[in-house]
Amino acid sequence: MMKFVLFLGLCFALGGLAVASNPSPYYGVVGLVVASIAGCGWLVSLGVSFVSLVLVMVYLGGMLVVFVYSVSLAADPYPEAWVDWGVIGYGVGMGLVVMVGFAMGGAFDVLVDGGTVNSAGLSSVRLDFSGVAVFYSWGAGLLLVGGWGLLLTLFVVLELVRGLSRGAIRAV
Amino acid sequence: AKLIFTISLLLGTTITISSNHWIMAWAGLEINTLAILPMISKSHHPRAIEAATKYFLTQATASALVLFSSMTNAWYTGQWDITQLTHPTSCLILTSAIAMKLGLVPFHFWFPEVLQGSPLITGLLLSTMMKFPPITLLFMTSPSLNSTLLTWMALLSAALGGWMGLNQTQVRKILAFSSISHLGWMAIIITYNPKLTLLNFYLYALMTATVFLTLNSIKASKLSVLMTTWTKIPPLSATLLLTLLSLAGLPPLTGFLPKWLIIQELTKQNMAVAATMISLLSLLSLFFYLRLAYCATITL
Repeated sequence: MMKFVLFLGLCFALGGLAVASNPSPYYGVVGLVVASIAGCGWLVSLGVSFVSLVLVMVYLGGMLVVFVYSVSLAADPYPEAWVDWGVIGYGVGMGLVVMVGFAMGGAFDVLVDGGTVNSAGLSSVRLDFSGVAVFYSWGAGLLLVGGWGLLLTLFVVLELVRGLSRGAIRAV
Repeated sequence: AKLIFTISLLLGTTITISSNHWIMAWAGLEINTLAILPMISKSHHPRAIEAATKYFLTQATASALVLFSSMTNAWYTGQWDITQLTHPTSCLILTSAIAMKLGLVPFHFWFPEVLQGSPLITGLLLSTMMKFPPITLLFMTSPSLNSTLLTWMALLSAALGGWMGLNQTQVRKILAFSSISHLGWMAIIITYNPKLTLLNFYLYALMTATVFLTLNSIKASKLSVLMTTWTKIPPLSATLLLTLLSLAGLPPLTGFLPKWLIIQELTKQNMAVAATMISLLSLLSLFFYLRLAYCATITL
């Protein structure tokens, strides 16, 4: 079980590496999918399965789908795949960083201490469920702040890409 | 839409300043970052878009580092209180995160280009309002911060802010380097007397707001345009002279007060070498303030 959690961590880091090595978005999104699935598995191993499902639904089912649709509209005639030289260079460089991170995190010598976030002492409700419930009741202020932040992000993105035919979001 | 961005800037600043939980502080910082992006890229000029991109990437990285430091501290001490940031790794990560947010050396590289790519009023907001939440976070965690790291960053900021501002002709870049140098003064005293940091920041914000608003009313973006100020609003060029000399920290103007108090406090803490060095390095920025004042007040 411990080895599986470590393997999920490795998948997470490799997925991140796949995105950060700057291939074309069509190939980078595979890295995002791998990283988010690994992140969900990690959350499940910690015990918070509800938050993990929320992550999958919102990230893969919402954001990634929208991203794939918009990327498919912006056609790139020669997309950089993972075997192009620039991508390999980035991949080697960042693979080095990832290895150093693992070595310093002790993944090669010491095993990860498994822990869960079940609040056995507080109540019979698990922390992730009760956390969401608190978010909608006592934590209403944070809910409002979070909601405002999301609304703001919408307006920011709309403003940034407004009039794309006239101006430049990506000046080539 | 502009109303939403302005309200969000005020909201984000207020949330961070009034927070005692790291999540609220982070949320405020993120709201600020998001809200100012369309203001930077308003003209949709490639330089503005590049400035907005650089700003977003650096500030997002810094926010992530703030989250990392608060989570590490929560893991080891079990609480999320901002004033109780006791774990040394967390303090280190937080210091570099705030340095990235403010533009302290060695995380200053984004600042001149971002200021150059944005309109003057947005530049004013970037230099004053966007600096206020990170400085507040430093103020709240100041008892636990590492003074050696901050002193080194402060001295390097004063040095680089002074030196790199010398060869500039674009006024916004000059103001960016002046900001970096003033941030050095603010950072050097934060672990000894945090109230002096706040005093320095308030006075700097006031003086810099004056300069930005003056430049906005005469629509000057480079030194050559600044030389025609006397034809437009003659009294304004006189006050610009006084404001620039105040920014430089010359007595008897107000800008001297924080420098004086900081040097006094540093000397009391047996840091006379640091005090001398930062004062000498401020002479470099005095040169470009004088050059700005000369260009603004010369009557051709």
